[in-house]
Amino acid sequence: MAPDPHIPAEVVCEDLAKTFADGTEVLRPLSVTLPSGGTTALVGPSGCGKSTLLRMIAGLEPPSAGSLRIGGAPPRALLKQAGLSMAFQDPSLLPWRSVRGNIELALKLARRPAAPQAVDDLIRLVGLDGFAGARPATLSGGMRQRAAIARAMVTEPRLLLLDEPFGAVDELTRRQLAEDLPRTWEPRQTTTLLVTHSITEAVMLSDRILVFSPRPATLVADIAVDLPRPRRAALTTDPAFLGLAEQVAAALAEGVAGANRPWAAQ
Amino acid sequence: MTAAATAHRPGRHTARRWQAAAGLLLLLLGWEYAGRALSGAFILAAPSEVLAWTWQNAGLMGRAMGETLGNAVLGFVYGNAAAVLLASVALLWPRTEALIGGLALLVFCLPLVATGPILRVLMGPGDGPQIALAALAVYYTTLVPLLVGLRAAPSSWFDLVRSYGRGRGAELVHVRAMAALPYLFAGLQIAAPAAILGAMVGEFTGAERGLGVLTIRAMRALDVPATWALASVSAAVAILAYAGVGWLGRRLSTAPPPVLLAPPAVAGRRGGGALVQGLGVAVLALLLWWGAMEAFGLNRFFAKRPGDVWAALVTAPDAAVTRATLAVALRETAAYVLPGYLAGLAMGLGLAVALVLLPALAAVAMPVAVALRSVPIVTTAPLFVMLLGRGAVGTVVLVAVMVFFPTFVACAQGLSRAPGQANDLFDSYAAGRLSRLIHLRLPAMLPAFFAAARMSVPAAVLAVTVVEWLATGRGMGSLMAMSASLSDYDMLWSTVVVVSVLSAACYLAVGGVERRVLAVYAPEQGAR
Ligand SMILES: Nc1ncnc2c1ncn2[C@@H]1O[C@H](COP(=O)(O)OP(=O)(O)OP(=O)(O)O)[C@@H](O)[C@H]1O
Ligand SMILES: [Mg+2]
Repeated sequence: MAPDPHIPAEVVCEDLAKTFADGTEVLRPLSVTLPSGGTTALVGPSGCGKSTLLRMIAGLEPPSAGSLRIGGAPPRALLKQAGLSMAFQDPSLLPWRSVRGNIELALKLARRPAAPQAVDDLIRLVGLDGFAGARPATLSGGMRQRAAIARAMVTEPRLLLLDEPFGAVDELTRRQLAEDLPRTWEPRQTTTLLVTHSITEAVMLSDRILVFSPRPATLVADIAVDLPRPRRAALTTDPAFLGLAEQVAAALAEGVAGANRPWAAQ
Repeated sequence: MTAAATAHRPGRHTARRWQAAAGLLLLLLGWEYAGRALSGAFILAAPSEVLAWTWQNAGLMGRAMGETLGNAVLGFVYGNAAAVLLASVALLWPRTEALIGGLALLVFCLPLVATGPILRVLMGPGDGPQIALAALAVYYTTLVPLLVGLRAAPSSWFDLVRSYGRGRGAELVHVRAMAALPYLFAGLQIAAPAAILGAMVGEFTGAERGLGVLTIRAMRALDVPATWALASVSAAVAILAYAGVGWLGRRLSTAPPPVLLAPPAVAGRRGGGALVQGLGVAVLALLLWWGAMEAFGLNRFFAKRPGDVWAALVTAPDAAVTRATLAVALRETAAYVLPGYLAGLAMGLGLAVALVLLPALAAVAMPVAVALRSVPIVTTAPLFVMLLGRGAVGTVVLVAVMVFFPTFVACAQGLSRAPGQANDLFDSYAAGRLSRLIHLRLPAMLPAFFAAARMSVPAAVLAVTVVEWLATGRGMGSLMAMSASLSDYDMLWSTVVVVSVLSAACYLAVGGVERRVLAVYAPEQGAR
């Protein structure tokens, strides 16, 4: 049965694993359930397989073992309804379209009616007002990423996949976005998955943080973040916040240490 | 990158224009001076004489140009439509790409000088052969960049389309078509003058009207001003067509393509794959050839089948004589075409490098070279014959010039295409021109050089056969002309087969060297 397009999607992985055709093992069997409407951060060393996991969940990369269900159906079902959006690690804006054109392209691809007002609101939300008509080539790296985030959000997806969305964004804007973006996806109960290298960002944005070891990625820690919302920048100095950040950092270090001593895992 | 940078500096842009104008003016003055000095030698007409002749014969010239342009436009449309169609098939069924590419190359290597008379007997009088030759002259230079352009988008753009549940159709509309546009225009721009060339070669081979017909008449009558006027007018029309398509391309697409003409895709990097592929292309070519002749029920006397050519070359009683005749002609042609080809490559490369070290000279010489590059040199072959005589020198020089211009322009553009960031790196070490040339620009230029070297192979063959046929009376071109006038269709078809297969083989050999060199110096260009 196809999932109802208005109900957010729960993501269930069972023994999900990925080894590429060339023999590169990227993901060790992973079993995890991401409840609908929640925000989950994926943290792990560079090259461990986070983007690959996200691409599998988006239905762009077939898993090599295990099962993956979104809202009770295989990822393709959600894909076919254009119920998910992904902001890719490289912003992937089409150079011949303006910022507005790129955002509108998502609506077109998802076969949704044009929504000029919503597009304007999003452009303002990501701080690109005044650049709606600009070509990507004339924008900075951080501005391009923000345009890509707006593009991912414009279709009001049930599942939002963000791959290092703030990688090239400056610290101040990054904090602003971390405050503003959840306000748009929380009321809609969008299930959000976020890959990030910033521990602060992970704690700030998510309800839950999954920490991975170096490749092949194994889940080393599953940390619940029960800080009250809405979260403001001031929260970053709160002892509870700092404690969680410390916990994530320790888990990352543990994962790296474990990978450097492969005999210890056996 | 450089284009964008200069566009933002209007002052520099106007300066370039003035320098270009100065270069053209110098060229004209030199020509006028030489023309006056040599008047009476029956080799060179000064620009003033050319203008006078054109003015007096404006009506005749206008009608001929209308005829030639009409055929060129039709050929341009048919040829490019075929290129788009073939590229689409290769895109939809990637397995067919190698087959389509191989077959297209073989057809591209058909020697127009022999194909013209054959098409003439097959299609009868009228415009058919001119249009067909124009189409044959253009489709390959569009097909090759288009095949690259349709795949040129980064994979994440396709992920974007697929992440909304859309398939190949949406990919084509939203990503591939737009990403291929600059490549398409790069091809169309080269095709525009090539269509005029094809139409004129078609007219050389026995039409009733057109610039090519007037050219042949003027040359036979030793009418120097007319020959020069006709060559100048066709060159000017070709330059205009080239510039016009370029302008349109810049209006419609945002950036020039990174690689103009990528190396040929040989699916099987291992020898076995290439062999199977070559066999497949050969079988398909023979089937299509045979099928076309049978389907139209064409007379065996002039519409030879593969079996007839096999018989003429192998089993017939006089096969040994035929082979010997071909071998002699081939040797004569090789003696002209090889030195000309190599000299053209060396001069193009050498001048491009020299101009990097002398930027002031480059500003004057480049626009002239870009303009002349778009001239279908073959249509000016009669001039070379007048200037340099009917001997070896004229032929070798014509081939060299034919190869020189595209090579020079490609190398010069390649040399200036060094990535901006890398340039910044060299700036940060205050590196000099020479070290920048050796470490940065030469490697960045290699892909362009080899693309030019490869595409010049059939061009050189065309040039040499045209001169041999028009003037020297030696070599393959002359053999083709003689066989055509003697209705020796066995020999004519044999020359077509031998020359196409040999040029395709040379083209692939250059492509092989190219891939090896690029694998070392520019690995990103080889990645597909
Ligand atoms: N198509 C592929 N074939 C083979 N290996 C691949 C392929 N795609 C990715 N990999 C490998 O899988 C590993 C994980 O890649 P992935 O992009 O998922 O890492 P990541 O965790 O997102 O890293 P980063 O934080 O740097 O973005 C890498 O080592 C990469 O080399
Ligand atoms: Mg990644």
